[in-house]
Amino acid sequence: MDKARPWLPDLGPDLGVSREAPGMSLGPESSDPGRILPRDTAQEAREASDEEGGESARQDCPQPRAGEETDSSSRPPVAKRRKVDTEGKRGRQREVNEEEAQEMRTLVAAMSQEQLNRYQVFRSSAFPKATIKRLIQAVAGTPVSQNVVIAMSGMAKVFVGEVVEEALDMCEKWGEKPPLQPKHLREAVRRLRKKGQMPSSKHKILF
Amino acid sequence: MTQEKQKDPTFEEESEEIGGGAEGGQGKRKRLFSKELRCMMYGFGDDQNPYTESVDILEALVIAFITEMTHKAMSTGRQTRVQVEDIVFLIRKDRRKFARVKDLLTMNEELKRARKAFDEVNYGS
Repeated sequence: MDKARPWLPDLGPDLGVSREAPGMSLGPESSDPGRILPRDTAQEAREASDEEGGESARQDCPQPRAGEETDSSSRPPVAKRRKVDTEGKRGRQREVNEEEAQEMRTLVAAMSQEQLNRYQVFRSSAFPKATIKRLIQAVAGTPVSQNVVIAMSGMAKVFVGEVVEEALDMCEKWGEKPPLQPKHLREAVRRLRKKGQMPSSKHKILF
Repeated sequence: MTQEKQKDPTFEEESEEIGGGAEGGQGKRKRLFSKELRCMMYGFGDDQNPYTESVDILEALVIAFITEMTHKAMSTGRQTRVQVEDIVFLIRKDRRKFARVKDLLTMNEELKRARKAFDEVNYGS
């Protein structure tokens, strides 16, 4: 899971939604322990391009948390830090997004036709929202909100990706070629189950 | 064909879920995601024409995944309801899925805001 997968840029923990999540976020701050005072946003952007270009791509999710814990004794309390550095974080976030957009553009420009086709299908493929909604409501028995359907479809797609990628690894390991056969998928499921990434056997006996 | 899929009574799915997986989960159920799953498999690296058996297996897996996630969400937080916060809580350990859900919900909020601002511009003047 820590391999660099180009199709899933690691945006790090500091997206808008998670800023309130306890224990998460405050990623870039831990790389800059001395800063408490508010910064000029232009200077911010310049600094961000220096440090974020190298660090944010490599910075892993758990690391900021660890950094935060070890540094907390030498820094102001969390609430004060958040209030002061919000503007800086947004500026850095924009900078990071810009860089990633640029990286994606470079990558797409370098793709062959077959790769482009595949990438296009990868981006546009999705589960039909109506069917997912029907399925969730059949299980839950109550109507569900639209956000739930959005979240669930997204997770299901990532799930398919995990299984297919693991199965492709199996296929390659056994010296065979796509299309994937059921035995590859079954072995992939067995592996993922060991890693704890599979639904448990609560509902269906699959094989 | 798609009409058939949608008109097909939902209770058929339900009865198969409630009735347990005795038939191996692939008995009478109509294929819900065949077309989309094929595209998805190609996108993730499989052949342009994946085997039908493989697609079936994946479909069963997806349905099991969604079913289990829904059940877990119903037993978390506010009971008997499926809410986004519960889903996010359940997925917190799985980094990839967590990041993806966060992205999707953030983008959705941005789109809603953009649409609202657009409408206001149109109706305001």
